[in-house]
Amino acid sequence: MSIVLEVEHISRSFGRQKILADASFTVDTGQLIGITGENGSGKSTLLKIVTGMLKPDSGSIIRPVSMGYCPQEVLLFEQLTVLEHFKCWARGYGMKPEHWQERMEVLLQQFQFKQHLHKLVEHLSGGTKQKLNLALALLHQPDLLVLDEPYNGFDWETYLRFWSYAEAIVAAGQSILVVSHFINDQQRFDHILHLQNGLLS
Amino acid sequence: MNVKRTWSVMEITLLQLIRRRITLVLLLVIPSLFFWVVDFTTSKRVTPFKLATVSEETYVEVPARDESLVFIGVAAVGFLASFLGLNLVQKNAGVHRRMVLAGYRSWEIFTALFAVLFFTVGLLALYVGLALHLFFTPQNLIGTLLGIFSAGIVYGSYGILSGVLIRGELEGMLLIVLLANIDAGWLQNPLFYDGAQHQEFIRYLPAWFPSQVTLTAAFTSHSFVKSFGFSVLYGLGLLLLGLLLYIYKMRIFK
Repeated sequence: MSIVLEVEHISRSFGRQKILADASFTVDTGQLIGITGENGSGKSTLLKIVTGMLKPDSGSIIRPVSMGYCPQEVLLFEQLTVLEHFKCWARGYGMKPEHWQERMEVLLQQFQFKQHLHKLVEHLSGGTKQKLNLALALLHQPDLLVLDEPYNGFDWETYLRFWSYAEAIVAAGQSILVVSHFINDQQRFDHILHLQNGLLS
Repeated sequence: MNVKRTWSVMEITLLQLIRRRITLVLLLVIPSLFFWVVDFTTSKRVTPFKLATVSEETYVEVPARDESLVFIGVAAVGFLASFLGLNLVQKNAGVHRRMVLAGYRSWEIFTALFAVLFFTVGLLALYVGLALHLFFTPQNLIGTLLGIFSAGIVYGSYGILSGVLIRGELEGMLLIVLLANIDAGWLQNPLFYDGAQHQEFIRYLPAWFPSQVTLTAAFTSHSFVKSFGFSVLYGLGLLLLGLLLYIYKMRIFK
């Protein structure tokens, strides 16, 4: 196994409030790492630092070349269709048409929202929006998936489908770093990073 | 810059704009409404005014209604373009950031957003210019259209800059209202400017050159090229500042 992500001595404050203090961890290929912690404990901040959206006050990070990020909030264009989102993201990832179309089919089948392909996002239910939010991060099969509570709004069946898919891609060598609040998710993780008062344990 | 990626952002931005039908209707209705109010309320009495970029001595004598129609045309395009610029940058800022994570470059997104603004303002200026033509015949229609277009570009760039600077929707709108109301909607009226104190202050405001281009082309045979050049420079300055701040805000740390 090789290291996909290496986080060393990361600290971050907002004003006087210390959100993260001296956090260090690594993610290996084919590992599923869970991040837990109470609301406001710094989980999203940690993920934003991992993805590069936020700069740490100190510390260093070695990231993989290819990453997929599913944010906690649904970040989609309300006036675009599901298909237009896939097309747009595929262009950003630099995927060839036949490749992304094949991948899109897999994801539409896996999360069962093919019937919504030509619908505008504004007309989708919250759960379907979240499926698309997640699928965009999975489209290019990145080395590391960074998922911030990716199953918010999922029904039980979709939730289970997500985990079966996640376990399959981890078995295939991709790595996942995922924020979760559910206690029964914890048995699925190779390691759990627990955040409390800015400290990682 | 990757042309395919930039084109892709332009395509999706235009698609989103086209799908907001009420917005499109309002873009057409608002200038018409402004023209109707001016036509309904302003007298046709001849009112002399000076055009500072033409001459400080010579008075232009045209009906007050015609002068007000040109002034309100410039103001309407300025207002609408600034709100459009603000909305293009601000509405989907989070999604655009996510696109940067997915491989897009922030300057590609910015270029695409400006291209959509440029195209929309072009159509809007054409519509407003031709609508103006229904009320009276400008001396130089092309120049009048260019003046209105430059007002849209300058204020559109101001809207983009406001959208980059301000995160809140209401705050952004207030920032636009603050300047556009005072500048394009009041101080640039040549009837006011003629008797104004501290005229040099008015000359530094964004709508100054576009207003001068439009009024000069509409009512005189003088050249407006210099004023148009300064309008373009003013717009480019605002845009460049917006671009630099946008790249800074959308940056991803390696």
